[in-house]
Amino acid sequence: MRRIWAVARNTIRQALRMKVAAVFIALLLILLPILGLTVTGDGTLKGRLQTFVSYGFSLTSLLLSFLTIIVSIYTITSDIEHRQIYTVVTKPIRRSHLILGKLLGVIVLDIALLTLFAGIIFGAIMFMPWLLHASPEEIREVDNEFYTARASLVPPEIDVSEETQALYDKLEKNDQLDQIYKGYTRAETLKLLAKQKRLEKRAAVVGQRLLWEFRNVRPLNPNESLFIRFKYDVSVTPPDEQAWGEWYIGDLRQSGPGAENATPVIPILRKDAVRTFREIEVPAAVVAKDGYLAIGFINPPLNETVVIFPLEDGLEVLYKADTFGGNFVRAAVLILCRLVFLACLGTLAGSFLSFPVAILFCLVIFLTGTVSGFVLESFDSLSKNIGVIYTYTVKGLVQLLPQFDKYNPTTFLVPARLITWGFVGKVATLMVAVKALLLLLLALVIFSFRELAKVVI
Amino acid sequence: MDYAVETIGLTKVFSDWWGRAKVFAVDDLNLQIRHNEVFGLLGPNGSGKTTTLKMLLGLLHPTKGHALLLGGDGSDPKISAHIGFLPEESYLYRFLNARETLDFYGRLFGLSRDVRQMRIEALLDMVGLKAVASRPVGTYSKGMARRIGLAQALINDPDLLILDEPTTGLDPIGTRQIKDLILRLVERGKTILLCSHLLADVEDVCHRIAILYGGKIQAQGRVKELLQQANKRQITTDAVSESAIERIKHILTQERVTFEISSPLERLETFFIHTVAEAQQQAKPTSGAVSTTRIGDFLTGVEPSQSLLDKLVAAPQQPETAPAAPRTDKVAETELPKGQPRKDLLRELAKPTAPDTKPVAPSPVQPSEDKQVSPEQIKKNVLDALTGRSASEQTKRTEKGDGESRDA
Repeated sequence: MRRIWAVARNTIRQALRMKVAAVFIALLLILLPILGLTVTGDGTLKGRLQTFVSYGFSLTSLLLSFLTIIVSIYTITSDIEHRQIYTVVTKPIRRSHLILGKLLGVIVLDIALLTLFAGIIFGAIMFMPWLLHASPEEIREVDNEFYTARASLVPPEIDVSEETQALYDKLEKNDQLDQIYKGYTRAETLKLLAKQKRLEKRAAVVGQRLLWEFRNVRPLNPNESLFIRFKYDVSVTPPDEQAWGEWYIGDLRQSGPGAENATPVIPILRKDAVRTFREIEVPAAVVAKDGYLAIGFINPPLNETVVIFPLEDGLEVLYKADTFGGNFVRAAVLILCRLVFLACLGTLAGSFLSFPVAILFCLVIFLTGTVSGFVLESFDSLSKNIGVIYTYTVKGLVQLLPQFDKYNPTTFLVPARLITWGFVGKVATLMVAVKALLLLLLALVIFSFRELAKVVI
Repeated sequence: MDYAVETIGLTKVFSDWWGRAKVFAVDDLNLQIRHNEVFGLLGPNGSGKTTTLKMLLGLLHPTKGHALLLGGDGSDPKISAHIGFLPEESYLYRFLNARETLDFYGRLFGLSRDVRQMRIEALLDMVGLKAVASRPVGTYSKGMARRIGLAQALINDPDLLILDEPTTGLDPIGTRQIKDLILRLVERGKTILLCSHLLADVEDVCHRIAILYGGKIQAQGRVKELLQQANKRQITTDAVSESAIERIKHILTQERVTFEISSPLERLETFFIHTVAEAQQQAKPTSGAVSTTRIGDFLTGVEPSQSLLDKLVAAPQQPETAPAAPRTDKVAETELPKGQPRKDLLRELAKPTAPDTKPVAPSPVQPSEDKQVSPEQIKKNVLDALTGRSASEQTKRTEKGDGESRDA
């Protein structure tokens, strides 16, 4: 362990003194304050904070990712290239320990730099309202919608299999299947029909009522607010691009005639822009003691259109579940997971490739990882005709790719969405304990058995 | 009998991309280097010397055959803990300074901090880099880099020292120091494998040599036996009178042999060292070995080390190091796995700070250096303990195979 640490220390020194790390550190130290001063977002304090946290975090994460890739590759390939490795591996240290030491050095450096820059971003975010002389209303708004960590609940998916099957049978009987769904397989047709049915459940014609029920809503504090975040879609766009909505929020089970309400039920009539995320704020006290919450929506006669809540993101309930600081730390841990993965990837590449090739290799993986959703989808659609071959070959490899876009912390911090420790744990397991570990093991095996000297005769 | 270095049918074939054999860099090499000898591996460029070393140290895998160091695999940490290696060039971390460099290698050996610090100071002193020890080694000249390379090879007090072209880039004084050091280490019971094509160096220090060509041994044996011209005789005398010479000539003519009489030339190396030493003395008649910071790199590098090294060479005459610490380096060897007997070594290393400075009695070998001894006395003793293996200890070891008995 002492030897591993000796190598780690040397690696950190190498990164700092060879100015590899220094360049990135300087760049961040310059860019972050500039960013803090120049971003304006949509002009409001909240917009400004959101833009800053998004840009700041993305920039830090990007530059540290590059730094990690470069340092983890450089520290190994440079030793081989400049042959310091001759005097190191001939000392009583196992090659695997040498690699572990190098990796440890990179990770320690990452942790230190991430702590530093996350600290700077956090400090800037905390000071920004004070610095901008924000009004009390603005402060109230950002307290509720930015300086917080809100849990999100989405309505459970409704089981529509029976209805779908009935519809399918009906279409089949009327020989309409071939007309409408020509060229589709049975499974695909069923899928499309199910989607259609589900959408029907989230659409209200004028006068129609929709009801969503949530269980297990547990706000941190009943005196705080609870938010309904929603997006309207409409069949006919109104001239002012706004639609009316009549909402009833609370424990609707108790609202029988003449009943005494234990918790308030809040009626709201409001007009909102369509196809845009909007939020309704209600006191968290509307949640029943057993964690039950119902949301009723009526499409009022004021509208002349069908109102639809899109399937993926049409409606969700947000409530404060943790503090901003806690969430921020977990966001940083998510970035750290990414950096650890990249450090292992760089170590692997450095163990058998030369510096430029290894850099290229890692950058390709890194960039693929940042658009992994797109990559996975395109592979899936491209491979329709070679399903079996694909499933057993490329698919496994593609699944091994990191999915940085899926676990991007800014998508949580900007809407002040809770990052649970469970989520962090899942990412850490998948990205570090499984994928990164595999890479590391491979690197250890390759490095332990390869010839480190060059052929010179 | 077990050997310090042994290769059995060692072969390295460099093949092309298709796996077809191209060059036999080392071809069925059988080397046996005994404990406590200086063995020279000679050969022209590309004869397979360095490739052999790389295979011994596990940097290259042999195509066929085996390479054994101290009876084991050179890449086994248990073995490499007792090996010092100086590659053909000192490949150093340019961003570390000399002290950090040695500290790093000391840590790789798992040496405790106190042992490390003591050895680093002693070694820096020995190789004459103390004045520039806080400069990054990337800024060092080739000779200075060579010196720090040598220091890193010695930090673990190795039993087997492998030196690849140790004197390239060194000035004559540095070369002399290395040769003296080699002789000194052998006296202390170490084994040295020297790879070189500077024949003069090899001739001066090696007991046995092997000459490689095309990856094969072309000649092998004791230097004296290989070089001795059995059909010639040489007589060297002090200056004698012309009449005496005439008489000798007469006798030789009677014997009917061809002969030649002349004054022998001083070796250029000896002359050079003498001249430089004199120049130094004149420039600083009283300052001694310590005040070296004012002069340039070259001299700064040389001055303190020479005096120290000379004392080092002179040290075998001091009997009291042996009884004082008969088992010291047994302790040093075993400290790595256990981590605990280090105290003994510490005590031993610390000892010379006591006022007992007898060991540095003026050496007859280098009378000109005697004045400079006193400021360096302490360091000399530390270095003795560092490189020191008493003669009695060594004999005991070879008798018993491996001295298992150990002082508490």
